[in-house]
Amino acid sequence: MTQLFELTINGLSLGAIYALIAIGFVLVFKATGIVNFAHGSILLLGAYVAARTQGDLGFWLALGLGAAAAATAAMIMEVLIMRRVRGVEAGVLAIITLGVDVILLTELSRRIGADILATGAPWGSEVVRVGDAAIPEARVAAAVIAVLVIGAFVTAFRKTDWGVAMRAAAADGKTASLMGVRLNRVAMSAWALAGALAALAGVFFVSFPSPGLDNATGLQALAAIPAAVIGGLDSIAGALVGGIIVGLVATYCAGYQDELSFLGRGLGQVAPYAVMFLVLLVRPSGLFGTQAVNRV
Amino acid sequence: MSEYLTDRRRLAMVAIGAVLLALPLVLADFWLQSGLFAMAFAIAAIGLTILVGTTGQLSLGHAFFVAIGAYGYCYLAGGESIPGLKAQSGLQFPPVLALLGAVGLAGLAGALFSPIASRLRGLYLGLVTLGLVFLGQHIMFNAAEITGGFNGRDAQPFSVFGFEFSDGDEETSVLGTVFTGLHKLWYLGLLLLAFSAWTAHNIVRTRPGRALETIRDSELAAATMGVDIRAYKAGAFCVSSMYAGLGGALIALVFGRIVPESFGFVLSVEFLVMVVLGGLGSIRGAIAGAALVSLLPRFLDFYADKLPLVSEPGTGGVGPSQMSRFVYGIAIVLVLVYAPRGLAGIRLRRARRKPTVTPPSVTPSPAP
Amino acid sequence: MIDNATDRPRSPGDTPAPTASPLLRIQNLTVSYGDAGAALSDVSIDVAEREIVAVLGSNGAGKSTLLRAISGSLALEGGQIESGSVELAGQRITGLGAADVVRRGVVQVPEGRQIFKDLTVEENLRAGGLALSDRSARREGRDRAYELFPRLAERRTQKGGLLSGGEQQMLAIGRALMAKPQVLLLDEPSLGLAPQIVEQIGGIIQEINATGTTVVLVEQNAGMALRVAGRAFVLEVGRVALEGPAAELAASDEVQERYLGVVRDHGAAIEKRVRRPQSTRPAPHELSVENLTVRFGGITALEDVSFRVEPGSTHAIIGPNGAGKSTCINVLTGVYKPTEGRVTYGDDVLTSKRPHQVAKLGISRTFQNIALSPEASVEENLLLGRHRRSKSGFVASALALPGARKERAEQIGIVRDVAERLGLTRLLERPVHELPYGDRKRVELARAAAAAPYVLLLDEPVAGMDHTESARMSELIGDLRDQLGLSIILVEHDMAFVMGLADRVTVLDFGKCIAEGTPEEVQRNPDVLRAYLGVAETTTGDGS
Repeated sequence: MTQLFELTINGLSLGAIYALIAIGFVLVFKATGIVNFAHGSILLLGAYVAARTQGDLGFWLALGLGAAAAATAAMIMEVLIMRRVRGVEAGVLAIITLGVDVILLTELSRRIGADILATGAPWGSEVVRVGDAAIPEARVAAAVIAVLVIGAFVTAFRKTDWGVAMRAAAADGKTASLMGVRLNRVAMSAWALAGALAALAGVFFVSFPSPGLDNATGLQALAAIPAAVIGGLDSIAGALVGGIIVGLVATYCAGYQDELSFLGRGLGQVAPYAVMFLVLLVRPSGLFGTQAVNRV
Repeated sequence: MSEYLTDRRRLAMVAIGAVLLALPLVLADFWLQSGLFAMAFAIAAIGLTILVGTTGQLSLGHAFFVAIGAYGYCYLAGGESIPGLKAQSGLQFPPVLALLGAVGLAGLAGALFSPIASRLRGLYLGLVTLGLVFLGQHIMFNAAEITGGFNGRDAQPFSVFGFEFSDGDEETSVLGTVFTGLHKLWYLGLLLLAFSAWTAHNIVRTRPGRALETIRDSELAAATMGVDIRAYKAGAFCVSSMYAGLGGALIALVFGRIVPESFGFVLSVEFLVMVVLGGLGSIRGAIAGAALVSLLPRFLDFYADKLPLVSEPGTGGVGPSQMSRFVYGIAIVLVLVYAPRGLAGIRLRRARRKPTVTPPSVTPSPAP
Repeated sequence: MIDNATDRPRSPGDTPAPTASPLLRIQNLTVSYGDAGAALSDVSIDVAEREIVAVLGSNGAGKSTLLRAISGSLALEGGQIESGSVELAGQRITGLGAADVVRRGVVQVPEGRQIFKDLTVEENLRAGGLALSDRSARREGRDRAYELFPRLAERRTQKGGLLSGGEQQMLAIGRALMAKPQVLLLDEPSLGLAPQIVEQIGGIIQEINATGTTVVLVEQNAGMALRVAGRAFVLEVGRVALEGPAAELAASDEVQERYLGVVRDHGAAIEKRVRRPQSTRPAPHELSVENLTVRFGGITALEDVSFRVEPGSTHAIIGPNGAGKSTCINVLTGVYKPTEGRVTYGDDVLTSKRPHQVAKLGISRTFQNIALSPEASVEENLLLGRHRRSKSGFVASALALPGARKERAEQIGIVRDVAERLGLTRLLERPVHELPYGDRKRVELARAAAAAPYVLLLDEPVAGMDHTESARMSELIGDLRDQLGLSIILVEHDMAFVMGLADRVTVLDFGKCIAEGTPEEVQRNPDVLRAYLGVAETTTGDGS
């Protein structure tokens, strides 16, 4: 029981981190129709900048700098590249983002090399005791901050002018621009926000209990893609739910590794993808995604 | 296929063919092996261009099907103890049968996946195929009985009627010219590539290809003209996987040893790079793209000391494989953004004015 | 119905500009989409301050394109201005983005309303006011919208998608007014609305105009538009065909016939095509539509529609935009599943089949918006029509087995034959995207015909064509019918075209069948006139 409780708390916390990544992914898709495969390497960039500068700046400033770097990179990608190809087929856009991913990832892994970078998070490796269960402080902090950030985001999305413009543009870009919404600005803000959220998530992602930022981080963060797909690519609520599902599944599979050994080692890494298959078999547009009507 | 070729093109093809046939006589083994890699990748890339270019189904899972071909061959042909190689489980098929079996297995995997694939639309498919790669690698790491797990496994050398194609010592002499195993493998690769290109060309140019192209352009139009969309998407997946399987088996033969690491997300992306750089839907383009992507790192590696921007691996600068990744990453972006029709007539379809039927939306406004 | 034709409207060019300096001036505008040829050619329209100007025309005439060119949204649709200019109060606005045009005071209400379905009424209005930075101006705008449309105030917290069609139109107009436009562009506000509501919308447009807003009204519902507007322009295949005071246009024979659905007995105009059956093929089965109801979410697109198509007959389905005609064709071809009811063809139930299975029974169709493979040649496109009549699969084709080669040669022969019959032989090698619109329409017809169907469904085969082209199309369709002994189901707006070909006509309005009979019967049916004209007994001389 204790283990289940521990795993559930850890899973929810990891899920909140995945939700942060997935929300950005979905936000970019909603605002611009682009599936951004470079999202993982933008996350890596943000986390890398934070990890490299935390020694000099301290954790919080470094975190801010990392988020700013990721947001800037995402914005540059949108303005210099993706904006020039508006209206091009979605598959081609996805391939372009793969190209950007290759460039970013190559440079970052070259710089990281074989290092494992610490994030310098202030909560180190302490644990919080709840009954018999031991929960890493870092996970609690990640969950709390992620929930706050997501809350702030959802409020902004629902209540502010920016949110209304974003939702209008996502629902129907052409009409929104006829109403005076500047699509380019909306797109830019979506990319920037997605980048910042990813960087934030990235820093938590590589904090304790994970050893630190290394070359594989970007690949691991890709599990946010099944999270977004499970929820439905065009649903923010779906991204939240998908993130939690992926967090829980990955944590349970890793936690009960011994009991599940017949499924092989490293199950936690691939289980989200398996869940994605199962969900899509039943609902081809994810749990909350817009369904197609015709039955060709 | 002759009806599509002008005399000039036929002449060019004969010339290229002749050069390719003569190359083993002059090239060093390093380059022969590189060339063989290029051929193996080209065969697999042909499959992907049919799926992505002709049918318009984005797939990031090509590496998975290539892996099935590679492991399929090793497992089917393996099991026999060979001097110098460790015996591993296998069915001890004759290599020719194992090669066919590997293609069949990959095709089967494609067919098994297609019920998921044909239900999905557009980008969902691309995202799901991403999952195939990770699941595939998980299996490769864990099904050690068959795959050899983390350490991978050896490939049984190819032979037909006792005629060995291994990279070993045995040599065959024809008219005073000595052919090593690698030379012979070169000709095998060439044969397989030519066969693949020919069949793919036939498919794309005739009835099934036309159905696939129409699915890409308008599923609605295809369906109402009698094309069974699900069956043809499944067919495209199956055929594409078979080419992937053949390419994979050849990769195993050329490497001599395969490990799960090689068949990851990165390889899938490289295949996409090949077909995009060559021009989506173009078979010649896929071959050219495969040659570029697989040979570039080897060129850079070979001439690392002479090129200004490239440094030796491990010295902290930009290594050859990194440099080549930069080059094609940038090339992809530049080609797709600035010269959509530039390289080998890349066919980029700008989103058209309106889809034929207001597509997916739960509450469509009544169509006018 | 009036007989005393008044003065013919002036032809373009000789109408003097209404005032010395018009508020909105469109000069020599030529617009194209990609390489599809010009959608607008050399269009010049002046709109004076506080005026209501109506722009009429059939589907594909270029009305929406004109509005897009003014509102700066052309690029979003893949079009570009080739030459000419749009000026607002003497300042060029051509080349500005849509969001900037809004800030200059020109706001468009898009066709089909396009309200944001998942946003509440209040949020929809808020989205409309985003261009204004002044908070109090926004509040004023909102209050004004609620004043104008009290219904919206009642339902302010409801999601837009839950409103009725009329309320959605009000919301769309209210949303546009939030940006305080000098010029309001309306794209078919009457689309799919009941006559009383259309009248109400007309009144609202006049009310908005009375407060000083200039209005450009694009309509197919010429009745309402001509009553509301002071001046009107008629677009035909991208050109201004007629212009003049609305009342004059409303009284002219040409406008009455083409856009008001008024049909006179001058025999020759509606020449019924004489049949010359030549087919030796087995006759088609009877196609029967039984109590068809289709709902999408909360919207009922078709309600309890029934009709029968006798073997070898031509059955037209007519009705205003949004009446459910295309939905009907999509159900017949298996693309949509009906909520209730069924369609049978002989012993087969079409509604339980998938589209390709329907096609296999010998039912072919064309599309309103043309769905050809643009990069493939005409011949390749026609060969797709032969898909269900041939069988080479992946293996036989890949290995170029003799059977596959032989089959391909045969199919090419058949396709060339079809092309020759439809006058496409010289285009066979050309890629489709290079062809002009009319040719592409014919290629689509040829593709459907190449399948040697028993039933042919034509979705607006002459939309966007001029008289000559549509006469030629009518000829081709008639020939095909004679040669193949086809049953034809025809969806079309062009009345003269329908009357010339159809044996029976079903009239849809709001998804319901409001009349059925021979073309002559249907033309005299008061319900039909009402559906087309907005209200009964309208065009009685003085249009306003």
